Amino acid sequence: MPPDVRIVFLIARREFLTRIRSRLWLIGTVVLVLAVCGFIVVQAKVISPHGSHTKVAFLGPARALQPNVSRTAAALGVTVDVQSVQSESDGVAEVDSGELDALISGERTHPTVTVKEQLSTEVAAAISNASKQIALNEALLNQGVDPGVVSGPVAASGPVIHTLDPGAAQRATRDVAGIFVAVLLYIALQIYGQVVAAGVVEEKANRIVEILLSTIRARQLLFGKVLGIGLLGFIQLAIVGAAALLVAGRTQTVNLPTVGLSSVLGGLLWFVIGFVLYAFLYAGAASLVSRQEDLASVTTPVTVLVLGSYLAFFWVVANPTSQMAAVLSLLPPFAPILMPARMATGDAPTWQVGLAIVLSLATIAGLNLLAARIYSNSVLRFGSRVSLRQAWSSAP
Amino acid sequence: MRPNVLELRGLGKRFGDLQALRGLDLQIHAGEVFGFVGSNGAGKTTTMRIVMGVLAPDAGDVLWEGSPIAFETRRQTGYMPEERGLYAKQPIGEQLRYFGQLHGLTEAAAGDATDVWLERFGLGERQKDELLKLSHGNQQRVQLAAALLFDPVLLILDEPFAGLDPEAVDAMSAVLREQAAAGKPVIFSSHQLELVERLSDRVGVIRRGELVACGTVDELRGRGPERLWVEAPAATADWAAGLTGVTVVRSAGAGYLLELGDHADDQQVLQAALATGPVREFRRERPSLLDLFREFVSDPEIDAA
Repeated sequence: MPPDVRIVFLIARREFLTRIRSRLWLIGTVVLVLAVCGFIVVQAKVISPHGSHTKVAFLGPARALQPNVSRTAAALGVTVDVQSVQSESDGVAEVDSGELDALISGERTHPTVTVKEQLSTEVAAAISNASKQIALNEALLNQGVDPGVVSGPVAASGPVIHTLDPGAAQRATRDVAGIFVAVLLYIALQIYGQVVAAGVVEEKANRIVEILLSTIRARQLLFGKVLGIGLLGFIQLAIVGAAALLVAGRTQTVNLPTVGLSSVLGGLLWFVIGFVLYAFLYAGAASLVSRQEDLASVTTPVTVLVLGSYLAFFWVVANPTSQMAAVLSLLPPFAPILMPARMATGDAPTWQVGLAIVLSLATIAGLNLLAARIYSNSVLRFGSRVSLRQAWSSAP
Repeated sequence: MRPNVLELRGLGKRFGDLQALRGLDLQIHAGEVFGFVGSNGAGKTTTMRIVMGVLAPDAGDVLWEGSPIAFETRRQTGYMPEERGLYAKQPIGEQLRYFGQLHGLTEAAAGDATDVWLERFGLGERQKDELLKLSHGNQQRVQLAAALLFDPVLLILDEPFAGLDPEAVDAMSAVLREQAAAGKPVIFSSHQLELVERLSDRVGVIRRGELVACGTVDELRGRGPERLWVEAPAATADWAAGLTGVTVVRSAGAGYLLELGDHADDQQVLQAALATGPVREFRRERPSLLDLFREFVSDPEIDAA
């Protein structure tokens, strides 16, 4: 390894190792994983049409309805779990205690359905359909017609569905994926940007920077710091992303290969771009002050910029196809949150993603020069806040 | 005389309205311990920071072995800043290994040097402790270890003795002498003048950004006007009044402190004293560094001299 690269590596390694060992990082990761998984589970309950179960028991002649009810309910997305009960009173008691969702008893063509509060529309339709079918069959038999003759054409009939927008069905899950990506990126960019800022001021506050900068270049210190802390954030996000995919797969919230994986990968890619972009801003701003207490006053503009991108996402998600949404998501300060979110919602064409990446990388190159200069010129000026003009114009 | 290795030429530095350094010149020799004294704000720290490249001078040069000091030389310089700088929450062993590597040591060499120096400072058992958990004196030892562990070519220590107990002062002094004996120039600043007097090969006195005196302690002490301490119990208050070029600085009981001018003759003074009766004490009074320091930093005439 060339000596200059080795120094950046040494700094990055220290930044990474001292922080990843801390309890704070571990707790932060666990909290994020739990929050994200909880979010997905809740979303799964709200939006998922699948996976709903109902527990039903049949008694007396109504038992004849069972095959038809199960089949129809399944077609409507409800799995009927048939239980057995000894008597009417047992069944009513079980419905009352919540062990059963519905007790179906009485006549085949006029069954009595006992429920605690309300019968789900799918189950109601299935029962109604089954009893009508039996009534129809009986009527046909009474007329001397073989129900089998009728049932074939009846079963084969039905509408042919012509879908104009096949992607719309996934809209809800895609929006959820977009919100998920935007929220996580917002949190990660804010947290790790602040970690960079706090690290810069720490070194300035206790004057380590005097020893460091008589040994290494300011730029090496800056790059090493951004690299080490960035890697820390990347690993945390990757863990959270993997956990999210796992939970989403189990709850079938999203289509994993198309929505889930691409959301997570897009999010990680944009974390790298966004983190580097904002980390330089945070480091440059933080180098202007010498005490942790003064940090907020200089980092607020950067924080507001990240917050603005995050808030803009909610407007974008409400107006996914607007030109404004496309333009905002291309502009570098907003792109790191808006573009991956639009990618997750499926609204960003490839050329826009590519253009946003190019614009962001160009901005990073410019910011790198700007931030490195401000950082080098300010980091050894102790005491009161360094003005931007001083920071820009000369070494201490 | 040993060769100059570090030379400061006409260093000037201004902070806003304050002219911190005004054309400071200084030569440091190989293998000497150089004590830097001066009041607070005189410019000691600014000078050291400029040598370390932490500050850029407005005027003047820092030369190392005759050419402008290079980044590589600074990288090989052991520096202890005035306000201590290490990571409070990192274990000290790990921290020292990190600094050793930044100064160019391999991982293994940095590990060995860390063990050696922490052992030497009695901190071998505490490698895994965070700096924060150490006493002030021990933190200072770690700081010194950070400046020494890569075997520097030059040592610049800003107030290394501040706040140390006598035992720690002795240990630190021994290390400085030892480093100088290995041929390295060692520059340190201190307000403990007796310590500077005892430890330094040469002393520089800085006042308002200028070097007002520089030399060995003996040279400095010999530089002022000659003074005599005479104890003559039978003498009257004006016994020395008739002697040419002799003035009485002060008297205490039977003792008199005399200052001799250019044409004064100490043998005449002795005779005059004996003429009054018995003489209990007659000796040349040499000023301590503290006396000199007071004189140098308070007397504006020195600037003109």
